[in-house]
Amino acid sequence: METLQHFALLLVGGALVNNILLTRFIGLCPFFGVSSSVDTSLGMAGAVVFVMTLATTATWVFWNVLLVPLGVGDFLYIPAFILVIAALVQFVEMYLRKASPALYRSLGIFLPLITTNCAVLATATESVRPGFFKMGIEYGFSFGEALVYTVGISLGFGIALLTFAALRERLEVAPAPEVMRGTPMAFITAGLLSLGYVGLAGLFGL
Amino acid sequence: MREWVAVFRRGIAIDNPLTVLMIGLCATLAVSTKVEGALFMGLAVIFVLGMSSIIVSSIRSLVPEQVRIPVFIVIIASFVTVVDLTLKAFFPDIYLFLGVWIPLIVVNCIILGRAEAFSYHQPVRLAVADGLGMGLGFSVVIVALAAIRELFGSGEIVFLGMRLITFPEWYRPPGVLLLFPGAFIIFGFIIAIAKWYNMRTSGRLIQPDPHCTIKEGSR
Repeated sequence: METLQHFALLLVGGALVNNILLTRFIGLCPFFGVSSSVDTSLGMAGAVVFVMTLATTATWVFWNVLLVPLGVGDFLYIPAFILVIAALVQFVEMYLRKASPALYRSLGIFLPLITTNCAVLATATESVRPGFFKMGIEYGFSFGEALVYTVGISLGFGIALLTFAALRERLEVAPAPEVMRGTPMAFITAGLLSLGYVGLAGLFGL
Repeated sequence: MREWVAVFRRGIAIDNPLTVLMIGLCATLAVSTKVEGALFMGLAVIFVLGMSSIIVSSIRSLVPEQVRIPVFIVIIASFVTVVDLTLKAFFPDIYLFLGVWIPLIVVNCIILGRAEAFSYHQPVRLAVADGLGMGLGFSVVIVALAAIRELFGSGEIVFLGMRLITFPEWYRPPGVLLLFPGAFIIFGFIIAIAKWYNMRTSGRLIQPDPHCTIKEGSR
């Protein structure tokens, strides 16, 4: 029961209280890039959940099996993690193209986008190398905790992206001055949306 | 020489990475609560962008098309590690403030995007102009954003321990400017101003890059 509660809190903490997009500013490029329609953002959200979970698995193993025993973690973690993630995304793309063309067609175009998405690197590093950015949760994650936390974060990414895409579809038809149209309005909307998430800060002591 | 200046100036105004191309936003919004942090972030980006432009451009004929992305990433990651360790050694306070954002320069779309879109196809001297121009354009916007947020959000600007400007006692700073919503809203207005300025000076309709990335269509 204790463990179940702990995992549930980790999930909620990652998804809502510390929402990676709206309260941490991580992964904003796709947030503004692909949020013009709900359909594409659904695809992007799916791809992010998938890749983030895989990336954390890979980097956790890499960190604990290779970097820590060799004692090179402190200065090699940036190149090591980004290479692991880039290689992983490449393999996933090749595998999907062969094994499941339908899934590849819906996720395919988002996969290369994700390699350079800071959200994946940040989440993988945060789950693996505790204390990397201050999320206010007790650190020293085991493999299970890192996995649950990552799933929470990626779900939070998806929720925020979908909400924002739905808002932006309505904004298209709003009467606004010429210079404010498009991205300036999108930013102000994101600011208002983020106000809602700020209200969740400190919930459950997370 | 004229070509060099033209490329350099494009990065500052009409192709500004932040307000026009809309890439590399995450770091901008996150570290712009303090002017000194923003300034060091700008310097770090100028350094990494300039150095990686030189290297990418000078080895461009040796790198096959298929493996260019991993090669770029390794080059960028090396320079980011240099910045990471330098700041940790000489400016520990700034390092603590910037925290996660220094390692995240690796995945900052500005740097990989310019390597892919410009340095990989251009001679070294133009690549340097592009790297410096883009880096400077980034720094100008991020410092401006940080100045507005710090001045109005906390009522004073503190730079390396010195108080530059202080508002009188009666000013009650609205703390929301220093929080996440303030960053989004003020940045929205900055983009609107940049768009208005660019529309007036060039008549060119500004279209942001729909994907912060580079790699689409290249596979």
